[in-house]
Amino acid sequence: MPASSFPLTMSKPVFIHGTAICCPEPLSLDGYHLPTLEVDKTLIPVVLRRRTSLTTRLAVTAAHGACQQARIDTTTLPSVFASLGGEIQVTDALCRLLPTNEPLSPTQFHNSVHNTTAGYWGILNQCQAPVTAIAAVDDTFAMGLLEAWTQLQLKPGNILLVCYDELWPQYLAPPIGQTAFACALVLSTEKSNSLASITLPKVEPVKSCLDEQWLSLVDSAPAAASIPLLDAIYNARGSRRIPLNTKGDIWFTYFETF
Amino acid sequence: MKQSSSIEPVAITAYSTVNSCGFGNDALLKALLANQSTLTTLKLFELPFPTYVGEIKKPLPEISPALERYQSRNARVALAALNVAEDGLRAAIEAAKSRYGKQRIGVVIGTSTSGIYETESAYAAFLEHHKMPDDFHFITRHAYQATARFLQLELDLKGPCYAISTACSSSAKAIATGQRLIASGVCDAVLAGGADTLCRLTLYGFKSLELIAAQHCQPMDKDRSGINIGEAAALVLLEKNTAHTRPPLLLAVGESSDAHHMSSPHPDGLGAALAMTGGLQLAGIDAVHVDYLNLHATATKINDQVESQAVYRVLGDQVPCSGTKGITGHTLGAAGALETIIALLALKYQFIPGTAGLQQTADECRCQVIKNPVPNQSLSIAMSNSFGFGGNNASVIVSVNHE
Repeated sequence: MPASSFPLTMSKPVFIHGTAICCPEPLSLDGYHLPTLEVDKTLIPVVLRRRTSLTTRLAVTAAHGACQQARIDTTTLPSVFASLGGEIQVTDALCRLLPTNEPLSPTQFHNSVHNTTAGYWGILNQCQAPVTAIAAVDDTFAMGLLEAWTQLQLKPGNILLVCYDELWPQYLAPPIGQTAFACALVLSTEKSNSLASITLPKVEPVKSCLDEQWLSLVDSAPAAASIPLLDAIYNARGSRRIPLNTKGDIWFTYFETF
Repeated sequence: MKQSSSIEPVAITAYSTVNSCGFGNDALLKALLANQSTLTTLKLFELPFPTYVGEIKKPLPEISPALERYQSRNARVALAALNVAEDGLRAAIEAAKSRYGKQRIGVVIGTSTSGIYETESAYAAFLEHHKMPDDFHFITRHAYQATARFLQLELDLKGPCYAISTACSSSAKAIATGQRLIASGVCDAVLAGGADTLCRLTLYGFKSLELIAAQHCQPMDKDRSGINIGEAAALVLLEKNTAHTRPPLLLAVGESSDAHHMSSPHPDGLGAALAMTGGLQLAGIDAVHVDYLNLHATATKINDQVESQAVYRVLGDQVPCSGTKGITGHTLGAAGALETIIALLALKYQFIPGTAGLQQTADECRCQVIKNPVPNQSLSIAMSNSFGFGGNNASVIVSVNHE
């Protein structure tokens, strides 16, 4: 089949239809005008709830909020879950137990996988659409957005992106995990009723200093790399260039309201 | 072949693997042709219960001093795969760099536990001395992206770099992401695949779920009693299909979710069937075009039963299938890429691999499971199934063109 039959260069525009932030300590967001949700554990039925971690509750709260705003059918919605450490507290508990030779809890073990939240989200929404779980240290939000963007190019429709990290034990990689933070975006190739559009994330030169408060917040809450984009969604009109990470090569997207 | 596919095929221009069969594709091919288990008792650390594992015994290459912070068994196994000279993976990546530029080459690596083996040792010291050892570097050794980032730095690549971690489907999903990055024009080439290495967490964890076989595993057998865990790196270089040469092609990867349970598959195999049919649709082919299926076939009671139902429903009983985890062990996050390479070897050398460990096929199994390897001169398209915790499913479809 000739490669030319595929429109490689004509990318489809991507639109934001819903967003939500879950941050149990909103004080850390002082100075930003961002609405935050408290962790809503009732979103997870009691029978599953006792098995879920703060990570899962945090991410599910944000995901639910974004889907509510977008008024979207979650039973067919593909999703991307992006997190640096995922189920870090479960992993920590298991690592503490291993040297003792005590038997592990089977539930703890299967809840230690990186796609635990992704799995519970699928079960909660009875959704058989593909779901992926990614990680990219400082670039986790940027790569999550890139993954969602490429999926939309190949399968037009809607997709959910959730980016989150919970509180971490401070002997692992301080100051990472001093603040728990999750955000979610519903992205779509459909323009009508959308809040704004974004372009393909790309590495570009940094032209002016990145915001100090943001840089320091991201050091303790990697998912807060999303704040400039969230800030634009809630507070900006017009168009602007948005940084998506704070270290190394900086990824940007161009954001525009209508 | 029928209609247009809904994703552009990409070329697989080089691939290599390191696993319990040895270093490189030839070592794996030899074990496949002999249908020879390479599972042994565990040497890496002591285990308080009996089982067999697919352990890499040859010494692993050292990480260069400049990248010392990335030192982990996982990164070293990945480096070993990169360095197998006969497989030409590193040379093909260098050629791709000069062809496309390093900014245009991505790295997407699947893993379930990354460098947790080193972290486990660090915790033993931590519990004794109440502080982590000085050489503990969580982000560069254990974080999910550590091995992907190590490969990117080792190869001086500058494109997108991330880990996919969806348990036992991780590296099949990494291959799916690699194809999308190329098909959407973001990258011209992607180093994709997976690496997972033996560690206490997965051995004790699967033991807690009562899924570890004390003996050699028996995929699809009526007496199967669980899995043997293995370790591997399996890497593939995906490139734009420029059609100048005739490399094998990645046609598509079907993906789905069970939406049923975190560690048990949907009892009717709905998610597994959806991944296979989704892959066929994306590839633009019908079930009759599939010449060989490498099963997920972990050798647990429920997984094999559910998979065989799903395979029968989607592919019928005429497609030759085999499960190769009796040879390599279940390499978890690396299994999808390892078994994609097994499918590529089957196509390249025109044979159907066997199912080592299988003696008497389970009564409920209605798909055509092959016990011993057989030559077959008409193989063009092969599929490989991978299903993980969280009900996360992926079916990779590859092809060769013999014209």
